[in-house]
Amino acid sequence: MSEYEGIVKMLRFFVQMKNFGYVDRIGNALNPEPVEVTLHEALRAFRSVRESAPVDESGRRYVEKDGKKIPVPGIPTEEEIKAFLDDVRSDIGVAKRVATLALAYPSKNESGGDE
Amino acid sequence: MFLSVGVRFEANVEALNMVETAGNYSKHRRVPYLVEEDGRLKTVYVPALSGESLAHAYQEHLVREALGLGLPVCDDCRRDEFYKSMNKVHLKKKVNPIPDDPRDIEIAIVRSCVVEDVGGFLYAEKPPVRRSSAFQVSYALPVKSVALFATSEPQLHARHAQMDSSSKKGNASEQMIYYVETGTALYGFTFNLDLDAIGVSAITSEPILDEDEIKTRREAALRALFRMLSSAQFGAKLSRFFPVGGITEVAVAVTEHPFVVTSPIYDDYIARTERRLKVLEGLGENYLFAVATGEKVPEEALKEAMDYLREQGAF
Ligand SMILES: [Zn+2]
Repeated sequence: MSEYEGIVKMLRFFVQMKNFGYVDRIGNALNPEPVEVTLHEALRAFRSVRESAPVDESGRRYVEKDGKKIPVPGIPTEEEIKAFLDDVRSDIGVAKRVATLALAYPSKNESGGDE
Repeated sequence: MFLSVGVRFEANVEALNMVETAGNYSKHRRVPYLVEEDGRLKTVYVPALSGESLAHAYQEHLVREALGLGLPVCDDCRRDEFYKSMNKVHLKKKVNPIPDDPRDIEIAIVRSCVVEDVGGFLYAEKPPVRRSSAFQVSYALPVKSVALFATSEPQLHARHAQMDSSSKKGNASEQMIYYVETGTALYGFTFNLDLDAIGVSAITSEPILDEDEIKTRREAALRALFRMLSSAQFGAKLSRFFPVGGITEVAVAVTEHPFVVTSPIYDDYIARTERRLKVLEGLGENYLFAVATGEKVPEEALKEAMDYLREQGAF
């Protein structure tokens, strides 16, 4: 599932922001349409948040939530989104796996910000 | 007596139910919807208003109507903050010390607040006490046959701020652009009111109040519905996105026992409701069915229902 790392990181960002709406909708989707619509909405919201996020000394974007600095990851690439949506069209289970990964703790210390 | 209303309203460029803002973008509530196209089912996302939003509006009207009729409304509800005696802090404002018996807690709450009598409450302490709402309301959803023509579109707006000379950009007018997603659709929703539940204990099914007060409370509950529909005061952002359009149809059924009109999202809802009521009549139940389409205005149908309820001695 590492090929959808960008999407997972973006969804994980929303989870850290206590906004579970997108990850739940993608994880609970029974057919591809809700995944596509939710991803569109998530990307739209993510861009807005990212553009207004301040940059720290090391050049990484972050958002403050409850006194904690949450790093804002990069925007998933077009190729990744396309591959993911194509994959979801043939197997909706892919969406559930991506959502599940976004809810888990990252395995290694994620730097976030602009990689 | 049980009242059920199907409402259709046309709303163009409305922002009645916004769900979240991300940066400068505020989103309209949207729900997945199954529609048939060329014999195939497909999922489309359509603008919608939550039942919670409509229920909040109804209870705001209920506060005003109840106070107008000299009925009790607690301080929280008067401010349109519907905490509904959710914990000790809020319940203590009504009864202190708090009784141990759930029945006494319910009696204290119902006596002191019409909104919690009609709209229900959940006291989430030990012992928990729950009272179901005597009114029910659905989401407002686009009418099925035209759902594909419903839209939700962001509109660009700008907010201006005068920047003073100390700010970086100099003494220039700074503008902040923002987007408000607006919905346009022909919506339908259902509203039910169980008049027999008002003033009656949900635990023992015994009346908590005397008959006169129960009747006045029923009247307040009906007036609140009338006012809400007639004034179109429901939903958010009315100050700048008051929906262009209005109520196009209402169908009101008054029955002795619970009966819900066929949902107005279906084009044949009036005919179907009528047929269903005819069957009920065959089983010996009296009813009134008032419809406002075209000729009649919604207020006339609602008044007909209220007159009928008064004749039946409901209030
Ligand atoms: Zn109250």
